[in-house]
Amino acid sequence: MDAFDNDKKYSKEYKQYVFELEDLKEKAPPLFGVKTGTKIDEMFFKVEFEDGKAKKVPLGGIPYLGVLNVVGVPDTGKSVFVEQFAVVQASLGYKVLFVTTESPSYFLYNGLKSKAMALGIDFEKIEDNIIVVDASQSDELRQNTFSLTKTMEYAIKKKKTTVTVIDSITGLYEHREMLARQIVRVIYNFLKEKRQTSLLVSQKRSSQGGDTAEAAGGLAVAHILDGTIVFDKKIIMSAFESRLYNMDIGEVLRTVRIDGCRLTGHDTSTYVMEINDLGLIEIKEKLSEFIKRNAKR
Amino acid sequence: MEVIGKPVVDFAKEVDLMAKRVFLEAVNIAGGFRKLILYRNLTWVPSLIEAAYVIVLNKEFGKTPEQIAEFLGITKETVKRILSADEEKVKEFLEGKVEQVDEHKAGGLAKLAYRRLKERGELKTTEISEETVEQAKLHLPEFAWPLIVLHAVRGLDFPVGKEELKKVFSSIDLTINGKKIEDLLNYLEYPIKSPADLLKKLKEAAF
Repeated sequence: MDAFDNDKKYSKEYKQYVFELEDLKEKAPPLFGVKTGTKIDEMFFKVEFEDGKAKKVPLGGIPYLGVLNVVGVPDTGKSVFVEQFAVVQASLGYKVLFVTTESPSYFLYNGLKSKAMALGIDFEKIEDNIIVVDASQSDELRQNTFSLTKTMEYAIKKKKTTVTVIDSITGLYEHREMLARQIVRVIYNFLKEKRQTSLLVSQKRSSQGGDTAEAAGGLAVAHILDGTIVFDKKIIMSAFESRLYNMDIGEVLRTVRIDGCRLTGHDTSTYVMEINDLGLIEIKEKLSEFIKRNAKR
Repeated sequence: MEVIGKPVVDFAKEVDLMAKRVFLEAVNIAGGFRKLILYRNLTWVPSLIEAAYVIVLNKEFGKTPEQIAEFLGITKETVKRILSADEEKVKEFLEGKVEQVDEHKAGGLAKLAYRRLKERGELKTTEISEETVEQAKLHLPEFAWPLIVLHAVRGLDFPVGKEELKKVFSSIDLTINGKKIEDLLNYLEYPIKSPADLLKKLKEAAF
């Protein structure tokens, strides 16, 4: 068979999905960090060549155009982290779309305002950089992915946003987790098409391990999205743990870890973090170093 | 901080609009309404309407066979047969290459139609009413030309040539960026593949 028969056999709609690698050079997005204002910015890195040798360089944020999963059990700091990210981005002059499926927008307003105040940012100056889609009060927006993406598209176009936060994506498939993969795929493709650097919060079910990337809907979210940041907490409940971490029984040890990212390199260590009195995320040191420094022999 | 608390689209209306487009394109692929009558295939019409809705609900709105069956009041098995129809085999059947197919013919046709509309970017094109055009002329005269063009070419069978377009625009007084449409049409590369292609080429010629 003539090799060119392939051209006749396959219609153009199939051919459009085939690329020579060199054709992608122009289309590949640049690799740089989108600042979160936390130590997470230093936990992603890229490789650069210096004097012919590969060198690890901090990315300075989450990867540009990445759609990342922020997962954790309740009250581990997921929402705090994404709100902090939204405020930091807005303060840098970027337009942010915040989709809330959990907290009504008027509560979100207070949350964002207090984060801005804690960061020393005048909220009045940046609030115009944030547009909110409040799906918490609308069944249609939460249950109909088409309506949601159309509404998000409207907001993205209206404000020309480059950053999107969804808190939480789990709210889109409550009571119908078997659809999680389908819904997450649609949202992921949509955010990629609209070129949004995004953080998507997802919740865990009670049976899922706190330190894993697994979330409600199974591993669908982690599989589809570009990477996962896991927030976790541990309540010190035994004498052993108390000695290991040098903490009193009943105290809470919070941790954060980048579980994986297909877009760029990252630190694989677990870090100790705190939510400080001002309600901000503060990532401290590696858990291993924390234990070395604190463990009572 | 601006808050949007309600959907900006009407779900049911969007489904109806897209299914209508898929149905009409499927009829075109089958040879048009007259051919359906001549070949005594008019009975396909109800199945085609049904299949158009099934394909749109599944491909565009991510609905499962169970949800579609409930939404349309048909069985889950019918939905599954439509969704699993092999459009290439149905195409061969329509072209007379094979005498019979086991596939759900309307399902295969609707899938073919859906694919073509997607390729041409015409599935989600907003329907433009005369009222919309008049409003645009009144309030945004310099931006109204794309709406006027799209409204004028409604019902045209793309791809189209120069003469066909000249005929359509002969009775329409339209200038784009100070240039008359009848002059601009002389500078376009033909054939024009779709309404979107026409807008793109007009923009390139006028600005």
